[in-house]
Amino acid sequence: MSALLELDVRYPTGAPRVDVEGFRLAEQEKLVLFGPNGAGKSTLIKVLAGIIAQAPVPAAAYLPQAPWMFRGTVRENLEFGLSSEGTVLARAVAAELGLTDLGLQARQLSGGEAQRVAIARVLARSEEIVLLDEPLAAVDLRDRAEVAGIIRRRLGRRAAVIVTHDRDDAAILGDAMAVMLDGRIVQRGPVADVFAQPVDESVAGVVGVANVLVGEAAEVDGNLVSVDAGDLRVWGLGEATIGSSARAMFGGETVTILPSGSGVGSARNSWTGRIRAVRRLGRLLEVVIDVGHPVVAIVTPGAAEALDMASGAEVVVSVKATAVRVVGGD
Amino acid sequence: MGFVLEVLRDALEALSGGLGGDLGAVVWLTSWIALVATGIAVLVGIPLGTVLGLGEFRAKRSITVLVNTAMGMPPVLAGLVLLLLLWRGGPFGSWGLLFTPPAMVLAQATLAIPIAVGLTAAAVGGLPPAAKEQLAAFRLPRWRRGAVAVREVWPAVGGAVAAAFGRVISEVGAVLIVGGNIRGETRVLTTAIVQETRQAQFGQALAFGFVLLGMALVVNAGITWLQFKDSAQ
Repeated sequence: MSALLELDVRYPTGAPRVDVEGFRLAEQEKLVLFGPNGAGKSTLIKVLAGIIAQAPVPAAAYLPQAPWMFRGTVRENLEFGLSSEGTVLARAVAAELGLTDLGLQARQLSGGEAQRVAIARVLARSEEIVLLDEPLAAVDLRDRAEVAGIIRRRLGRRAAVIVTHDRDDAAILGDAMAVMLDGRIVQRGPVADVFAQPVDESVAGVVGVANVLVGEAAEVDGNLVSVDAGDLRVWGLGEATIGSSARAMFGGETVTILPSGSGVGSARNSWTGRIRAVRRLGRLLEVVIDVGHPVVAIVTPGAAEALDMASGAEVVVSVKATAVRVVGGD
Repeated sequence: MGFVLEVLRDALEALSGGLGGDLGAVVWLTSWIALVATGIAVLVGIPLGTVLGLGEFRAKRSITVLVNTAMGMPPVLAGLVLLLLLWRGGPFGSWGLLFTPPAMVLAQATLAIPIAVGLTAAAVGGLPPAAKEQLAAFRLPRWRRGAVAVREVWPAVGGAVAAAFGRVISEVGAVLIVGGNIRGETRVLTTAIVQETRQAQFGQALAFGFVLLGMALVVNAGITWLQFKDSAQ
């Protein structure tokens, strides 16, 4: 795919500084910029938005980290800078996000409502590139997956750069993910790969070791949903439409490793596989088990010793379904 | 104390007696000159102040210094310069404006414009960074961006209008020089006060002063009402 955006971003005087060589955004790509506070994510996206005039950049729709509600009604705020088609679209997105009373004074909105107004107006813009700085920061935890899903769908075929430091948001919103630390991009790749295989301890420390399995929602049982990712069926909590794409996510620390042939107790997710790698992760060990798909587990050195974990050993891996989050895809 | 009370009684008497025949003409002239001059200051000063406050350009700081200095320009100096420009034989002498109300409007607008520019620039420039960033993100045409910014800081811009009006209505030096305080033609409340004081007609002078204060009160009450009405939202 051709690059929509390709530039070097050097902003040595910034606080935080940014030094990214060959930043690239492909057509239709949804790239998550992930990293801790102060890593330079917002500075980078401001350069991409042209707010910090550091490099010539193409026009982009930009959602600032702290969206501002101007004096006037919600409707007026929703429609700033939009064409008449954009206005119609903004109202549709706003309605989808649950904003109904557009006659209210915008200043009276809660943080989450104001954020929704800002999301609707940025998604209604016509630019081919969309830049979102922490779009879900002010949205209530329980609404985040839904709002993220709406953003994802409304982005459509446009390319986007999305800043976040939340793993769930990253998994829902991004195809690719770039991890930023100290102003540099230290790892870039598909979201699932970065979560499953951080290049080093510093990245692992930032992303937390997580498993993201991408597949299709297969079955629903109460509030549990299963996702088929290759040969693997993973059960988790969440909502997804059967047959549509879905992602299952769980942290490495929620994975239990048992000796081969063990009973699996109450865990719905229990798979047999072979250990592929054992790495040190600070005081813990990161174990990669191939169960038809690589699954990452974080264990204590004591547990590893008791199990005699060596590369190639056959083990049973189990994860409680309640520790797995399932989110509907596009 | 007795003297002051006597003057006060004379002033009240003058007020109730209608201040002699030319009060109406003086108040009328004062009002329209002040309103037109303030109007010019608003039309010229608010856009320029917005550009100065929002814009990022090299001369921004130097221009701000000049504007702030002009805000404190002595009216007599402004009047003198304008007199020289409008004098017969001066560059604009052929316009024949000297000692006419339009020259007085010009003098007052000259004094009020820097105030409108300076206070608007300070108000708009003081927008929070998040508001400026969001404004930039809208990619609005320049004039629309300025209009949104002014509306956002309207109470402060309303204050700029009030300050410009206050400068204009209370000013005496410049209108005296370019207007000449000609009875029935270019006499306004401030120059009338000077005139009556010189002739030791203190009661009469004070009465004009009360009328002047009353006018300022009415206009400022209007502006303040608009400020509060909107900042409640």
